[in-house]
Amino acid sequence: MKFKELPSVKDQIKKCVRCGRCRTVCPIFAEIKNETAAPRGHVFMVQMLRDGVVEPDNSVYERLGNCLLCETCSTFCPSGIDIHELNAAARSYITEQKGSPGKHLIFDKLWCNPALLRMSSRMMWGAQTLGLQKLARTLGLTQLLPGDLPQAEKILTQVPRRSAREQLKEINPARGERKLRVGYFLGCGTDLFNPEVALAAVKVLTHNGCEVVIPRSMKCCGLPHVANGKLGTARELLRHNIREFSALKLDYIVTDCASCSSALSRKNLQFVLGEEEFSRQGIHFADQVVDLTVFLLEILKIDTKTLKMAGPFRVTYHDPCHLAKAQNIRQQPRELLKLIPGVELVEMVDADRCCGGSGTFSLTHYDLSSRVLDKKMENIKATECEVVATCCPSCTMQLQHGMARHQYPARVLHPVELLARAY
Amino acid sequence: MDKKEIRRAMLKILDQDQVLADDLDVMYYSYDSSFLTKLEKVDPDVVVLPRSTEQVQQIMRFAFENGIPVTPRGAGTGETGGAAPLSGGIVMDLCTWDEIVEVDVANMQVIVRPGVIHADLNEHLAGYNLFFPPDPGSSKMCTIGGMVANNASGLRAVKYGCTEQYILGLEVVLPNGEVIITGGMKSKAIKNVSGLNLTKLMVGSEGILGVITRIRLRCWPKPKARGIVMAVFPALDDAPATVLDVYQAGILPSGVEVLDQSAIRAVNQFKPEIALPEEAEAILLFEVDGNPASVDWEGSNIADIARRRASQVEWTTEPERMTALWEGRSVTATAAARVRPDGSRVFAGEDISIPLSQVAETLRKIRALGKKHGVAVVNYGHIGDGNVHTAPVIDPENPTEVEKVKKLVHDIHLLAIESGGSTTGEHGVGAVRRRYAELEHGAALKVMQAIKTALDPKGIMNPGKLI
Repeated sequence: MKFKELPSVKDQIKKCVRCGRCRTVCPIFAEIKNETAAPRGHVFMVQMLRDGVVEPDNSVYERLGNCLLCETCSTFCPSGIDIHELNAAARSYITEQKGSPGKHLIFDKLWCNPALLRMSSRMMWGAQTLGLQKLARTLGLTQLLPGDLPQAEKILTQVPRRSAREQLKEINPARGERKLRVGYFLGCGTDLFNPEVALAAVKVLTHNGCEVVIPRSMKCCGLPHVANGKLGTARELLRHNIREFSALKLDYIVTDCASCSSALSRKNLQFVLGEEEFSRQGIHFADQVVDLTVFLLEILKIDTKTLKMAGPFRVTYHDPCHLAKAQNIRQQPRELLKLIPGVELVEMVDADRCCGGSGTFSLTHYDLSSRVLDKKMENIKATECEVVATCCPSCTMQLQHGMARHQYPARVLHPVELLARAY
Repeated sequence: MDKKEIRRAMLKILDQDQVLADDLDVMYYSYDSSFLTKLEKVDPDVVVLPRSTEQVQQIMRFAFENGIPVTPRGAGTGETGGAAPLSGGIVMDLCTWDEIVEVDVANMQVIVRPGVIHADLNEHLAGYNLFFPPDPGSSKMCTIGGMVANNASGLRAVKYGCTEQYILGLEVVLPNGEVIITGGMKSKAIKNVSGLNLTKLMVGSEGILGVITRIRLRCWPKPKARGIVMAVFPALDDAPATVLDVYQAGILPSGVEVLDQSAIRAVNQFKPEIALPEEAEAILLFEVDGNPASVDWEGSNIADIARRRASQVEWTTEPERMTALWEGRSVTATAAARVRPDGSRVFAGEDISIPLSQVAETLRKIRALGKKHGVAVVNYGHIGDGNVHTAPVIDPENPTEVEKVKKLVHDIHLLAIESGGSTTGEHGVGAVRRRYAELEHGAALKVMQAIKTALDPKGIMNPGKLI
């Protein structure tokens, strides 16, 4: 669908009364502190783009890029505007008009191909293992990288040698009687950077009577593409994944990743696929997708009587934006944590404030992202917790970087990793 | 003067991060929350973000010498075009200058810079058991500087009045760059009748007389308890009659708010969990505050009085329910758009102030005007002090509807004046209500213009606003 015909662009821009409520909740506005970074400013600029007052060029993209797409503003907007969708649509429009060979290579080629992604991650593992990353830092070679990347490469923690897909079978039978046949949407972040989360998820699910299917043909959920001006590619990825999962006759599709579950939600499918295609193909698929913590707590209703002591751990929970704001899932991860013997849950201040990670944002806007992270870290440190639990690989990577940046020794784990210890 | 020269000059005065000098960046300062700036866009030549009196002085000296318009600006939440640079020039964004300079507990005062956010100030003052009472619906986003410049008030004006009652003194940079302090250079006294009252002159002057750079505010002890009575009325006339009965029973609530049926629907669509009864023709929300015993007495008496006419009355001191009910009212301003899926509320004709005795009649007349012009309207407001907020809901991108709403708004403003009221109770005049100045003030307008000319002979301060 053409940019100007998108429902968010056509119907929602005019609803903005520029009341400024969004200024008070935006983590990026809190740092930049001028109107160019206000969410209502983004709505204004998308309108200027729609009306042809400004050209679809990099300078406009740069302004719109000062946004985490964390959806906080959309959640609070009294006029009900999906500001993040407007922003994403405009980024895509500009990218389509101007093109970008670098983005084409990364998002249309590499990030659509799980085998190529795995190969890249293997090369990263090799470079880290051989000390090349450290050597490059020592020699100052990383400073030759473009943009924010000389700083941003620090975020990359040790990449595991084997991805989750390489460690898990396609079909993982239930232990005991099979209650449900569950597809596991294994997101890129968990697959390549946090395979231990996937191992824990499969362990807990199979223990609780689920046959877990991890289709080899699955691809990225498309959220990085939405954020980086590649709506068309995101659409293709969604179509592919809907097709592949729908063929498997599953009872549910679970994912540990907040970004994936929000990308596969009704709301995002409507936005990316359009109302007509969504109604035809997306509804059943979207309704099958469930966040892992919700699935364990509300659908499987896991039996906690047989759980062993997993702790003692003093744990605080960080709400991923794509879970708390995009899907209003706040209590279930906490309830799950409280069920784990040996876990003491301590709330931090502003637990649902963005950590600044937001997928590729921490790489493209390292300085800004770190300023948002620093505020989060102060709240984490005040809890004196030894574990920060969260449900998003992007948040995990960002928070791990925060631990190193602030020399605070807490581990960052998915709730299911703590739960798996109790089996 | 060429905009490039102005930008260069600003970069000599300020750090690079305090100047927006790119054509694309300055566009973001063409608007505030008014309908006017959705229709007409004028970009400033440059945006500056000063953080000291000296910086403001230097900017003003340069602007004065070169005859360049200056528009001071807070959070841009105003609804009158007051912060929009309708003549171009320099926009002075004061939001980043947000220091709470001093809390003087012994004298119950606080000194702030203009960019402090209202809600942040009250959060800070709560630590000292103090508060700054005026309570605008935009508390979370508006700045104290903006409140002073517009003499803002809000939901609790019935008991606590407007901003002007709390301003003890100001530091103001005049258009020529000179700095004055009103209310006495060294005075920390609460009462002060020495000299002409320049503080009152500056409060509500909407940036046409100078730039407010420091504000000495009076604070009040924070009330220990609070309660809310919600009363639901099947007939509109029963709402103002009940308010009158409450006053005559010797009770002064901190706020009395009214939502008409269209506003009730809008609130429920925005926040279904608030669950206001939709069959009502009007809902009143009374807020009482003070010590726990008086709150209990006042709340239960208001509830008893309301029951004489209301179909449903709820009296609560339960914090979560109070927050939901009060939030229901405070979000109405923008939630009004929900009544029409393809439309939006517009901020125009939104702030008339009328005699208390004429509230019901005026609400009816506004509805009739809406019908006459074919525009849906949502009505809500501070019934306790006669300040009615009307939200026309239209498709703002449809030129026919825009023309209709312009006519409606004009009629609403004339209605207010004819009723013995004013075109604005708390939002200000800005650019949108300036045309009514002569009608409202007559010969007094000439005095206002003489004061303006005396202080700003070159007419550079926020031109095209207020008078």
